[in-house]
This record gives sequence, C-alpha cells and structure tokens, in this order.
Amino acid sequence: MAEYAVEIDEVSKMFKLYHENVKSLKEKVLFFRKRGYEEFWALKDVSVSVKPGETLGIIGANGSGKSTLLKCVTKILYPTSGKVVTNGSIAALLELGAGFQPDLTGRENVYLNASILGFSKKEVDKRFDEIVAFAELERFIDNHVRNYSSGMYIRLGFAIAINVDPDILIIDEVLAVGDEAFQRKCLERIEEIQESGKTIIFVTHNVEITKEICSYVVMLDHGSVVKEGRPREVVNYYHQVMETAEEGSERGDRRLEILGVALLNEAEEPTTVFHTGQPMKIRVAWRANEPVTDPVFGFSIDDYRGFTAYGTNTRLKGLDLGTLTGEGFVQFDLSSLPMLEGRYLVSAAIHSRDEQTIYHWLDRHVPFDMKSDVDDAGLLYVPTEIQVFR
Amino acid sequence: MIDRLKDLWVHRELLYNLTVKELKVKYKRSVLGFLWSFMNPLIMLAVFSLVFSILVKNDAMNWFVVYLMSGLLPWLFFVNCLMQSVGTVVGNPGLVKKVYFPRETLPLAAIGANIFHFFMQMAVFFIFLLIIGWHFSIYLLFFPLVFLLEVTFTLGLCMFLSAANVYLRDVQHFVEVATMAWFWLTPIVYPIGMAMNALGEWFRLYLLNPMTNIIQLWQFIIYNPHYYAAKVYKFPDKYPAVNYLSFWGILGTSLLAVFLLVFGYYYFVRKERGFAEQI
Ligand SMILES: Nc1ncnc2c1ncn2[C@@H]1O[C@H](COP(=O)(O)OP(=O)(O)OP(=O)(O)O)[C@@H](O)[C@H]1O
Ligand SMILES: [Mg+2]
Repeated sequence: MAEYAVEIDEVSKMFKLYHENVKSLKEKVLFFRKRGYEEFWALKDVSVSVKPGETLGIIGANGSGKSTLLKCVTKILYPTSGKVVTNGSIAALLELGAGFQPDLTGRENVYLNASILGFSKKEVDKRFDEIVAFAELERFIDNHVRNYSSGMYIRLGFAIAINVDPDILIIDEVLAVGDEAFQRKCLERIEEIQESGKTIIFVTHNVEITKEICSYVVMLDHGSVVKEGRPREVVNYYHQVMETAEEGSERGDRRLEILGVALLNEAEEPTTVFHTGQPMKIRVAWRANEPVTDPVFGFSIDDYRGFTAYGTNTRLKGLDLGTLTGEGFVQFDLSSLPMLEGRYLVSAAIHSRDEQTIYHWLDRHVPFDMKSDVDDAGLLYVPTEIQVFR
Repeated sequence: MIDRLKDLWVHRELLYNLTVKELKVKYKRSVLGFLWSFMNPLIMLAVFSLVFSILVKNDAMNWFVVYLMSGLLPWLFFVNCLMQSVGTVVGNPGLVKKVYFPRETLPLAAIGANIFHFFMQMAVFFIFLLIIGWHFSIYLLFFPLVFLLEVTFTLGLCMFLSAANVYLRDVQHFVEVATMAWFWLTPIVYPIGMAMNALGEWFRLYLLNPMTNIIQLWQFIIYNPHYYAAKVYKFPDKYPAVNYLSFWGILGTSLLAVFLLVFGYYYFVRKERGFAEQI
C-alpha cells in the first residue's frame, strides 16, 4: 500500500479575477495583450499528507481556501503549481446536492450520482435499499428531487457517498444542513468508516467536531497553513484567532461606567489561565458619573459559541446596592470553576433593576483559558467516583 | 490520453445515464413524450409531400421528398449535435464545478441522445419509404459505415467547439450562424447539379465541404436515382441526381473526420483542466 492516501505537495492556486466577466471576442480583441484581470492566490504553498486510515480536518475562516484545496484534491481544479497525488478511489461531497438533477426522481438520481462517482449500476443495485434507508427517504424516493428540502438533499448525497464504499471520503461543510439526529447518524457512520481503515478529509466550521473525529487538523488562513497538529491545539488556536477578529461589543448610557474587569486567581493575581476546580474572582471596577439609584451588577461566562456557561447578578442574589456615587468595585467570588479545557469569555454589565436602562454593558469582554489535568469528555467536570461490583 | 480513455471507460455508465437523462428531461411533462421523436419526421414528411404535390403536380413529387429527407435527416442530426453539445460544459456548472468526472461525457451524452433521435427518425422515414413502395438499392448496406463517418466527423467538431466555448462564449453564437450558412452550402434542398451549373470554376471549392460528401453519401445510399431506382423508374434525368461522389472526396472526408476526432479530443482534454474556474 502506498505510504500516503493523499499527498498535497506545495500546492498553490491562482485565480484570475477578471474585472468584468465578459468573454467575448470583442473583449479579447480590445484587451489583446492587456491584462484584464488581477491575480488572486487562493492557496499558497500548502503541503499536507494524509496516511491511509487517518482523518484529516481542515478548518479556517470563510474564504480561507478550504474548498479550493478539496477541489484540487478531487481534480475539479488543477493547482497552478505543486502537485496532488491520491491513492485509491475517491467519493467527494463538496456541495449540497452537487450533481443532482432536479428534474429526475430520487431513484434516478441515486444511479446518476453513483455513476458520476464511477460506480456501476450493479454495485448500486446491491446497496440501493441501504442508501435509501440511511437517507430515510423511502416515501420520497420516487419524487422529483426538485421538491426535496435541503436536508433531504444532503441526506441522499451523503448516503450515496458513504455507501459506494470509497477508499477516500471527502466532505466539505455539508452536514451542517442536516438535523441533529441525522448529523449524529452521520458522525456514527463516519466513525464506522474510520474503523474500517478508510481515509477521510473533512472541512467544517463546527470545529468542536474535529476534536471528536479527526486525528490531525490543519488550519488555513488566506490560503496558507497557519497551524497544524493535534485537534485540540489547532482548535484552541482557531478560537483565539476568530475571537480577536470579532470585537467585543459595548453599549449603555455610561451614567454608571465599568472602568475595567479583572480576573483573579486564589492569590488575587490577575491571570488569563485557570484550572478546573480552581476558584476565580471577577472584579468589576465602576465609576458613577452621576448618582445612580438601585443598579444591578452582573456577569456571565460564555464559551466561544456564545453559550452561557454561567451567569448571575446582584438582583438574583438578593442584594440591594442603594445609591452609588464616586468609584468602587464589585467582586464576584466563584469558589470552583467546573469547566473543562477550552476558551471562555467574561461579559460584565451594570443595568437598572428592571433592565430597562443599561448603564454599561461589556459583551464578551475578557477572555480566559481553562486548562485541565483530566482528559474527561464534555464541557463540565463532574466529580465522579467509580466503583466496580462483581 | 490513454489514461483519459480508460477513465472514460470507467465512467461508461455515467455516459449512458447522462444520455438517458437528456432524453428523459427533454420529454418530462410532455404528454406525447417519446412520440415526438416520431412526430417530427412525420410532420416534415406530411408537409413536404403536401407542398410538393401542389407545386410539382406529377410523379416527381415522391422523388423530391425522398431526396430531401435522405439529406435533411442526417443534416439535422449533425446540426442538433453541434448546437446541443456546444453549450453542455458551460450549461452544467452544477456538475463541472462541484464534482469530478470525465467532462467529455457532457458533449458525448448530447450526441448520444441525438443518435437515438436520429434512429427514431430514420425508422419513420424507412416506414414511409416502404409504404410508397420505394425501391431500395443494395448500397443501403453501407448505412452503418456512412453513419460512422458522420458520427466521427461530428464528434471531433463537437469536442472542439464545446471546449472552445468555455473560453470564448462567442463560439455558441457563431455555431448558430455558421450552420445556417453551411446548410445552404450543402446540397440538401437543391440538387447538386444546380450548384455545379451556377458555380462553374468555383465548384471544385464547393466539393471541399466535408458535409457535401457526407450528405451525398446518404443521398446515394437511400435515394440513389442513377444506380438502382433509375432503372425502375426510367426517368432519371428529370430528377435531382447524386453525381459528384469521388473516391478522393470520400477518402479525404474520412481522413479529415478521424483527424478532427483526435484533434478535438486532444484539445478538449488539454483545456478541460481550466473548466471549473472558467464557468
Ligand atoms: N473560480 C474562482 N474564481 C475566482 N476566485 C475564486 C474561485 N473559487 C474560489 N475563489 C476565491 O478563493 C477564495 C477561497 O475560496 P474557498 O471557497 O476555497 O473558501 P473556503 O475556505 O471554502 O470558504 P467557506 O468557509 O466560505 O466555504 C475565496 O476568496 C474565493 O473568492
Ligand atoms: Mg467552502
């Protein structure tokens, strides 16, 4: 067996961005020898190798070149320089319903699509029922694909691609369209495929998934590999990059202003790294630009997706602050952080009791990283004792 | 190039499926469906017969209808192949940009569908001939060879044009205009003798048109007044004749067809790499 299933060697891809996409004779004659386009390098010297049986995840911002790279691997595009070598049959799922003919029925499309992938009618006959069952489209298989929902498209496409039993499966950000049950099912099937020793290349924006299923992750940015390695490391780096890109927002009339938010550890030192189980102090420094009666101070800890892990405020805790003037700070003492590894953001806010008036709100303002000595799965650490009875 | 042919062979079922798709999609939502393949030549036959029976009013009527049809059906096959295949690559961005497969299957499928239509129409035409009691010549046995020649010629041209069209969209429009002119440069609705009389010295040039040779071959094997039918009807001279087939003409056309096929395919394969980003 060849050493690599897919070998991407210093691949660069240049697109010509025409100023106006007119390819007529007139244009050619008028712009003869005059370059009517700009060069755009969608990929720059990308090298990645995937061994048979490995699962490679590719992540990166929109437009970073992920799809372009996959298209170079699947011979839809050809690199401007560098080369791609693949060993084994490939089934690729690059876009929702790619290759489906809306005017044909689901059944006809299964055969057409499989033959596009290079598989014969006989092979499809054998697996037809399996494909339809996996896609859960028994009732609709003889309907026109034109009338399918986008979820149904992707079910059918995915069912075909995995059931034709390729050596290399390439998936580009299409599973996101399926509902949760179907995504689960696909991931389970992907794990089965992994176990059978097949190679998978996987592009997704749901980077947490790569932690679950990939053995190696590559992050692209503006066409270059900026980080590669173990999923966890690359994904954390990804979150950092993505987060600096989006500015934490700020609002409020600032009658009561937040001067700063500090995260302190046990020793009351400011830090940005906490360990599971450690305490944390969140200090919110304020200044009253005019006297304010009965304000509420609050905070929340969100993960990178915007899910709030925890949040509370002085009203919920039954505190009445009276009228504030001058300066001071409010300190929230969190006795033990339960979160496992990952990146989190602290928001802080001061508002009126009825939340009608917002004095100052810093959204996702202070980032910190959770580290953990345990390798347990999930978001939260739940102290667990294990007993075995026999 | 050999690799490409192998790849095409692996995807032979795709070619079949695309061809069937082409036919199916064409007749989806039409009540008569496949019957339209028959209707076209039937209506043509009916109209021509009617028109010529009014215009000509003697037994030459059948002759002319047969002459016309035996050239027109192969010509329509040729033109439809060109017109339909030239836009196939550009017209299927959903496939070309999103999945890998040998792209030549696209123009090939368009041609495949037209081959199917051609046989349907020929079948109708031959039934008509049987009904009017036409005397077939022995040369009709050359049907497969003549057909092969035309398909070879058409294939090469279609490959070349459909690839060129990706880079220069004028090709599509050019084909529309060019085939119209080409039609009148080929002896289909008028007897070739007329062209000879009118052109004089230029007639040699006229004979260089490969379609003239191919169409004449069709007229020769189906209509053929001089070789067989003439003896029966005894009035050969009054009717359009097929006179100017020569050994060199046929050989030249055959060589040209083979050359075009090789060149067209080569050109297609070379240009194919850029298709996905050009459309
Ligand atoms: N055919 C093309 N012609 C010109 N530019 C192109 C072409 N295809 C892609 N690009 C450009 O290349 C860049 C990378 O595109 P690509 O589709 O690979 O991004 P991506 O990483 O898949 O993004 P997304 O996360 O949105 O899917 C984009 O800026 C895009 O505009
Ligand atoms: Mg993409």
